[in-house]
Amino acid sequence: MIAPRQAASVLLAACVLLLGGCATRGPLLEPSSRAVELDATPFFPQARYECGPAALATMLGASRVAVTPEELEKRVYLPGRRGSLQIEMQAAPRAYARLSYRIAPELAAIVAELDAGRPVLVLHNYGLPFWPRWHYAVVVGHDGNKDRLILRSGKTRRQVLSARNFMRAWDNGGRWALVVLQPGELPTAPDNRRYLESAAAFEGVASAQDAWRSFDAAARQWPEDPVAWIGRGTASYRSGALPRAIEDYRAALRLDATQVAARNNLAVALLEAGCVAEARRQIEQIDTTTLAERMRTEVLDTRRQIESRPADAGTPAAACGGATQ
Amino acid sequence: MTPSKWRTTLVTVLTAAVFNFGVMSAAQAGIVSTGAIVSAERDADLASIRGQLQRADVQAQMQEMGVDAASVDARLATLSDSELRDMAEQMKNAPAGGDVLVLLGAVFLVLLVLELVGVIDVFKKVPAR
Repeated sequence: MIAPRQAASVLLAACVLLLGGCATRGPLLEPSSRAVELDATPFFPQARYECGPAALATMLGASRVAVTPEELEKRVYLPGRRGSLQIEMQAAPRAYARLSYRIAPELAAIVAELDAGRPVLVLHNYGLPFWPRWHYAVVVGHDGNKDRLILRSGKTRRQVLSARNFMRAWDNGGRWALVVLQPGELPTAPDNRRYLESAAAFEGVASAQDAWRSFDAAARQWPEDPVAWIGRGTASYRSGALPRAIEDYRAALRLDATQVAARNNLAVALLEAGCVAEARRQIEQIDTTTLAERMRTEVLDTRRQIESRPADAGTPAAACGGATQ
Repeated sequence: MTPSKWRTTLVTVLTAAVFNFGVMSAAQAGIVSTGAIVSAERDADLASIRGQLQRADVQAQMQEMGVDAASVDARLATLSDSELRDMAEQMKNAPAGGDVLVLLGAVFLVLLVLELVGVIDVFKKVPAR
């Protein structure tokens, strides 16, 4: 027999536990939010271990890049791991003139992207702590009233998951989520550092024009950020638009006169434009003794290039714009 | 590592170093890439030689994991410096998403065990007609 008092305390404890459970059981999606489903998102049923290439083909297809999972397999599938790594999933869109951007690890961020018409690539973990099962899927819709999400996943064209089950697998997967952007397109509520890192990684692969568009969007969004202007300037330099490159590097230096990379690049662009004296004036302003090795090498290299040139080749000083900086 | 493996690695490293050097200086003389600025903001002194070692390391690991040599370069070309560094460190252990069918198999297995132990009763016999 259990004494009534004991029974009461057990009951109380049970209630507390249940309430504790109940407290987190509210809807995860905003109930009032309108339902969104991006029906036009393509679907590629995955082959055996290849949810990575399939999910990526879905993402790229939604961003108007026609590419098959078979082709992407060569870019993101690792036979030795029987799967695809997040880093490569993130890098591969660059080969198709697209940026990848990691969104904030919040359900609200996924919803905001869907509302903006962009599907979201997520990494799920359906396994156990000691036996993880990683899986990529693409979120294409949300329905606040029913508190659920709609995905393209594995061999299922339209998978409906309760927000709770979605969150469990997403939490266990480290809340990794990615959107694919066209050059010049910004995510909703873009994070300055993360976007510029995306754009900088894209720069290494992109055409000068696409790189310009990406940094131009950044310079409009964050006109106070020198890195955005440097990026845009370098894109102009690559396409041979030297006056525009010089202008952007100068804009970066007006915001932050200690940006060594901007000054170095400005000197290179000036030199190429025939403004040898102004290029020299710029490069000599850099104190190389305090620079990190990699940057010092670049600056010294630029300095050597300038010194090997004869003094001004006759370009009028006004065209070199030395007065402002 | 066996001596021959050492030699292969060394050759790969040197080839990569020479290859990279050539590409870098040919493409954009003197311009510091925005990628270098962004990554320099994060860690102050990333010597480029370290980057080249990592590149060779990732190349070797990829081939070991069954990626054919022709695709390796195209894949590495899309990586930023910091991604390359992460790859070198995490390729063997980072989550690799892929396997959803094995998962279904596992669920089936768990259900089967529960069924046999008698906890649940989902696999009913179809009544004979």
